[in-house]
Amino acid sequence: MTQCLTGKKVLMKGNYAIANAAVLAGCECYFGYPITPQSEIGEFMSGKMQELGRAYVSAESELAAINMTIGACSTGAKAMTSSSSCAVSLMQEGLSYATSDQLPVVLVSVMRGGPGLGNIYPSQGDYFQATKGGGNGDYHLIVLAPSTVQECADLTYKAFYLAHKYKNPTVLLADGMLGQMMEPVEFKKYPYPEIDNSKWALDGAKGRTNRVIRSYAPLASNQCVYLEELYKKYKLIEENEVEWEEIGTEDADVVLVSFGSSARNAKIAAKLLREKGVKAGILRPITLYPFPAKRLSELALKVKKFITVEVNMGQMVNDVRLAVNGKVPVELIHKPVGIPPAPVEIVKQVEELI
Amino acid sequence: MTTQVFKIPDSFKKDVRYTFCPGCDHGVAVRLVAEVLDELGLTQNTICAASIGCSVTIYDFLNIDTIESPHGRAMAVATGVKRAKPDKFVFTYQGDGDFASIGLAESMHAALRGEKISAICINNTTYGMTGGQLGPTTILGQVTTTSPTGRNLEYYGYPIKIAEHIALCDGTAFSARVSLDTVANIKKAKQAIKKAFEVQMKGLGLGFVEILSSCPTNWKMSPDKAHQRVREEMMPVFNLGIYKDVTQS
Amino acid sequence: MEKVIVIAGFGGQGVLLAGEVLANAFMLDNKNVTWYPSYGAEMRGGTVNCSVTVSDDEIGNVESPTSDFIIVLNQASFDKFEPLVKEGGTIIVNTSLANKVQNRHDINYVFAPITRLAEEKLGSNKMSNILSLGILSVSSGLVSTSTLEKALNNVIPPHRRNLIPKNVEALKLGYEYDLLKV
Repeated sequence: MTQCLTGKKVLMKGNYAIANAAVLAGCECYFGYPITPQSEIGEFMSGKMQELGRAYVSAESELAAINMTIGACSTGAKAMTSSSSCAVSLMQEGLSYATSDQLPVVLVSVMRGGPGLGNIYPSQGDYFQATKGGGNGDYHLIVLAPSTVQECADLTYKAFYLAHKYKNPTVLLADGMLGQMMEPVEFKKYPYPEIDNSKWALDGAKGRTNRVIRSYAPLASNQCVYLEELYKKYKLIEENEVEWEEIGTEDADVVLVSFGSSARNAKIAAKLLREKGVKAGILRPITLYPFPAKRLSELALKVKKFITVEVNMGQMVNDVRLAVNGKVPVELIHKPVGIPPAPVEIVKQVEELI
Repeated sequence: MTTQVFKIPDSFKKDVRYTFCPGCDHGVAVRLVAEVLDELGLTQNTICAASIGCSVTIYDFLNIDTIESPHGRAMAVATGVKRAKPDKFVFTYQGDGDFASIGLAESMHAALRGEKISAICINNTTYGMTGGQLGPTTILGQVTTTSPTGRNLEYYGYPIKIAEHIALCDGTAFSARVSLDTVANIKKAKQAIKKAFEVQMKGLGLGFVEILSSCPTNWKMSPDKAHQRVREEMMPVFNLGIYKDVTQS
Repeated sequence: MEKVIVIAGFGGQGVLLAGEVLANAFMLDNKNVTWYPSYGAEMRGGTVNCSVTVSDDEIGNVESPTSDFIIVLNQASFDKFEPLVKEGGTIIVNTSLANKVQNRHDINYVFAPITRLAEEKLGSNKMSNILSLGILSVSSGLVSTSTLEKALNNVIPPHRRNLIPKNVEALKLGYEYDLLKV
């Protein structure tokens, strides 16, 4: 698989769609270390980037990979790395630095079972890892959650755009199912404007004073000012970039909240529930940070119950509870790891919960 | 008619307060780097990957674009910079703990890949900024805050000889160990740094210089005594010399 | 109408590729389709399968517990998947590598010596997978051999183009195989 296609529907694995879209988005540098279930991304990039004369490094570890990405991004380049769960753990330090350095790092995180080595089957167990961060300090990563192979491609474009627009590390949070499944996908031209990085990027200080990209602020007062500024940016992101899909919520008694691969099944379940006379709707967050908390809190005024559907022990349910803030009950339907619960299984559990 | 015999290098900032401890060799090392950048005309075409430790403050002194790297990751960051902008001159400035302990994998692999970057590593046999703990280059018998009775083999094993290890990597173009204890050695150190920079400019591979350096504060010695220690205790373990130079073979 | 097709066999039989050809064919017919492989810490020669789901509507599940059509290319896959055929569904059995047994009365059985046919008529057992798609085409009516032929062109990489005529022959052989003869 080394083609790069636009304007034609092709059947492709999510992993290849992500890699293909990254190349089309103008990704200039890829750094990675193999891990199942995302290895196809590095495999594709190794051939394609060399063919195009762009940068590719088989990094010695995920530590190195994220830091190579940081280095490349410091020059304003579009750069990315990809990994999975236990190996994304190794990148947490780098992600924390990259938020502090305000660098447009793009990380594709294809979730597998955890904690620890876990297994290689699909999982949504890294919702916390992506949205709350495992790195030190106060920061946010922008997190996009595709639900189809088409979205794997479209949101990869968006990840590059948002990362550069806000100078903030951005995670495309897929999972083993999306990475390994094939679905028709059509690649459009990169739809976003190119961001001018010339005001901050390192390029050798020719004819200007030198630039230093650093996170070390030796004085407490500096750090206070810095964090206040950083959080102004996050406020902007929260105001402008929340994205979600909503179906059948106008008159819904119960709203299923689900993201990524499990949202596929939750959507079908909501449809089946309607057929059975249950007024069900679905809200699918597409951005996990910023989270559609405001919309959920609006819905909480008329909905009787929220139920999240997740492949983990219950992670996003906490954010839904925060958003709903006790107005109505928030329940959880989940499977610890693997393929998301089947639509009929979701329907059965919803019927028990309402 | 007057002749200028001494000037602050253009790559050096003119208006900063020097923050290294009195007698520390970092200051000399940074100045040598600045002089070589000047002489090779690199000041406005360079991106530096700074590290963690005392070496981090290099960006306070030099007029060059710099990115600070997480601890041990300078060689990975520099790799990313160079791969993204191959026409820029890229170097790291690290301590022995950063380069050869926490960052050993990044350092060795950058050398093995033959990254066209240069690396300067200050070896002062201790973790300076955190208060003088045992590091990867602490020599046998040396007392530090985490080897209170001296480095012994049973608990700590052996120190690493960095320049020799880097020379073993096929992608390394130049590897040398130098010292800053005498004027003659300072001159040799500058030549080595220049060579390490030039091999990158010629696209030959990694240029590496390990600089034996004093740490009077943590060694609890006067600057003079510290240099004496460099000569008497460090050099017998860490022999000065050029361990690899592809331009000579 | 959603239909689930599973293709199963052992590693090396081209099970995943056959699934990819089938899924491509559905895509060419403008259907919604997903392809999902069994994956894991697999070893060479172990069992492997993939699930192809086709629908006019949006597809949720990419791996259903039960299927409408199952192609089993070896005994282990027969043992595993025979109980998982939906009532009224069809199992296509490669009798070259699986016993001709019918344990259920609520599903259809299609028996064909797929591997032997491929070896004897096409000169290579490697054609078994595509040959089985010909049989699926005639017994399911879900997809035509002409679309499958187009799909082959999508899947087989440019440097293997020389293999296409042989694969088309395999499709035809499967499609024309007299199922009543068995």
